[in-house]
Amino acid sequence: MTVRHRAIGWALAAVTLILVVVNQRGVGIARDEVVYMQAGARYAAWWTGLVTRDHGIDERSVTQTFGGPNPTDNNREHPALMKTLFGLSEQLVHGKLGLAGEVTAFRLPSAVLHAVLVLIVYGFVLELWGLAEAIVAALVLIGLPRAVFHAGLACFDAPTMTLWFATVVAYFRALDGRRWPWQVGVLWGLALATKHTALLLPFALGAHYLVIAWRATRPDPGQPDRPGFGRGLGARLRAVLGYRGRVIVSLAVLGPVTLYAVWPWLWFAPIHHVRDWLAFHLNHVHYNYEYLGRNWNAPRFPWHVALVTTLFTVPVATLAAAALGAGVWISERVRRPARAHRGAPVLLLALSFAASIGPFVLGSTPIFGAEKHWMPALPTICIAAGVGVVWAARRAASAVRRIPAPAMIAGVAGCVVLAAAAEVVVAEPYALTWYNTLAGGAPGGADLGMNRQFWGVAARGVLPVLIADAAPTGTTAVYTHDASPAWSIYQHQGLIPTTLTDAGWEQAGIDRSQLAIVIHELHFNRHDYLIWASYGTVQPVFVLCSDGVPIVSVYRRPGK
Amino acid sequence: MPALVLAGIACWEVCAARRDATSVPGDAAWQAAAAAVRAGYRPGDLIVFAPAWVDPIGRRELGDLIALPDAARMDAARYGRIWELAIRGAQASDTADLVPAVTEDHAGVRVRRYDRPPAVVVGDVLDRAASATLSAPPPATLPATPPGPGAHPAVVLAEVGFAPHRCVQVSPAPGTPLRITFPAFPLGRTLVGYVGIADVFTRRDVRSPVRIDVELAGRVIASAGAGVDDGWVRFTATTPPGPADVTFVARAADANRKLCFAAEARQ
Repeated sequence: MTVRHRAIGWALAAVTLILVVVNQRGVGIARDEVVYMQAGARYAAWWTGLVTRDHGIDERSVTQTFGGPNPTDNNREHPALMKTLFGLSEQLVHGKLGLAGEVTAFRLPSAVLHAVLVLIVYGFVLELWGLAEAIVAALVLIGLPRAVFHAGLACFDAPTMTLWFATVVAYFRALDGRRWPWQVGVLWGLALATKHTALLLPFALGAHYLVIAWRATRPDPGQPDRPGFGRGLGARLRAVLGYRGRVIVSLAVLGPVTLYAVWPWLWFAPIHHVRDWLAFHLNHVHYNYEYLGRNWNAPRFPWHVALVTTLFTVPVATLAAAALGAGVWISERVRRPARAHRGAPVLLLALSFAASIGPFVLGSTPIFGAEKHWMPALPTICIAAGVGVVWAARRAASAVRRIPAPAMIAGVAGCVVLAAAAEVVVAEPYALTWYNTLAGGAPGGADLGMNRQFWGVAARGVLPVLIADAAPTGTTAVYTHDASPAWSIYQHQGLIPTTLTDAGWEQAGIDRSQLAIVIHELHFNRHDYLIWASYGTVQPVFVLCSDGVPIVSVYRRPGK
Repeated sequence: MPALVLAGIACWEVCAARRDATSVPGDAAWQAAAAAVRAGYRPGDLIVFAPAWVDPIGRRELGDLIALPDAARMDAARYGRIWELAIRGAQASDTADLVPAVTEDHAGVRVRRYDRPPAVVVGDVLDRAASATLSAPPPATLPATPPGPGAHPAVVLAEVGFAPHRCVQVSPAPGTPLRITFPAFPLGRTLVGYVGIADVFTRRDVRSPVRIDVELAGRVIASAGAGVDDGWVRFTATTPPGPADVTFVARAADANRKLCFAAEARQ
């Protein structure tokens, strides 16, 4: 990689970081994010205290900070890595340096990791396919509206995409036979320490390993057996396992060790705590999720949820380019098998995609998080798009000789990237309500009965309305619905005055309130009805829309 | 050719993304449509919106003309005039098969008025819940909703099938039929009712269906079952006009089933 290549990669990463950080400023606080921020602040304080020797390592302090007897105590159901980084970032970037607001500082690690993902994708594609493909793949990755949204939250979904793909790339590079392939194990451990979905990764890596090791250890019929490359099945399996055995050892040893090292909750009773962690997710409650006009909250779910949702949440031009790229890969493989890369990178990307999205085809895996649950599939799509765009442009340039190939690539890539950019502009800041033009945008998504949103982020958009409608003096109790967990943060940020108080939950909260909001999701309709019964009116005073689609209603108690 | 297709798709997406985002009529269109409805509105008219997702905007504009019982109606049969405000070519289920008497378009908000002879309702279980009686459960069974003989069923505004419905809500003890009797209930020629399970969370956590039978003079004249995904399920029966004791027998296999029903006697 030349200096110019590096500069381009860093520039792309910088653009990503700026885009995500700027965009998140308009995004409300997600319900789960509040939990992660609060836990992260505690985790960071614990680590800081450990470094400054305010306390040592003892079971009591670890349990008080990272765990507890109940399944969700101190958010022990999710590993600690990202939360710790959120907390440290808040301590440093906001608390010490004063470079960013509190919420932005909490969210910064996610944004940085998203920029790192762009850099990794760029570097990987540059190495295997070329500069043009690398730039296009990076740009269409930057232009994924839902990914931009998730990368701006202090949550795990964008970071786990980065660490998943970083592990894939580290594994691929480790196949070069290096003596100490520690990177792959450590990165997988970090991925595990980010989100449990990284447990799916060995399925992709394992399948890939078996294929390439099987191929590499195939005895040459024209030559006598090489040592270790025997003809018997047992000898062959030993050869396969030993082909790059250190990679397996790295994953098997350094992965769990890294997870253990960065998650103090595992330091005491690790087996018990790992079992609890996995059991929580294996028995996870099925939240409500609207898909194709029906509310789903119990299996069996349609097998096509992940495919259709991906089809509607990746820009169409990117999907078309990815389809071309996939076609190019298949065609190359069929026509010129001898020229195929020994490391089978395309197979690896396909397996990474399949391992990430595959569980959602089973019909029993919770679907409530939509694309955020299978985000590690996205780099494969973007890389395929990069390959597809450049292949199509080069083919066109060879047909139209007046236009040089670089200009043609720039033209075609420019169109595809512009389309992605247009979708990003339309989608934000309510990207969970957005669907691509194949679905007909947000209104088309609503017509199709696709999920409207989740996590209550849209509540931020009605805060000015609530302020305007509040009593001029004294306090005004607000039924804050799904924004309840974020309410104190909005107050702390100064987005609402402390005189706008959270009235409390459900009917009791509604009955106490003078103002009420409903964040629209199909299963939240019941909140409208509770408010109607309490307020004696069905008429909201304000409806916040995203591209014409209602996302939050505000009610005022008549006679207030 | 592939490059052209790719560029074409991209250009289409750039234009379509913007077009999609602005394809829903704005506030001015809704205000104009609402003004048209107000100009012709008569008390007793029903106002509906389509598609369902645009309902909050419609209620924002015309919610003062929509009383709670209208919004949470059993069905629309008793309304002789229905105003429908619709966008994107949608039609409300309440107006299916009806022919509009008036159609106007206000910058994308289509206003239609449907006139038809309304169903004449001679008896409504919701109006008579206070006089209804609940059967006592067997001694060994803990009562769910009914505290015992002499108690009356509750009329609530419930979410059933993600829609609002005023209904009689009961929770029968598992395996024990709960009998709700409406004495001297005025019957017409038909009895039309609906049943469903309220509350999305109990529907999620307990997946068994509920069942209701309607008895007249000890004979079952209508029955309906409702599963967790069935929503608001209709049942009908032909009845002899005149007052009679009508009993609704509610059944559930599991505890904490919020069985909701409503019924009207119609001429």
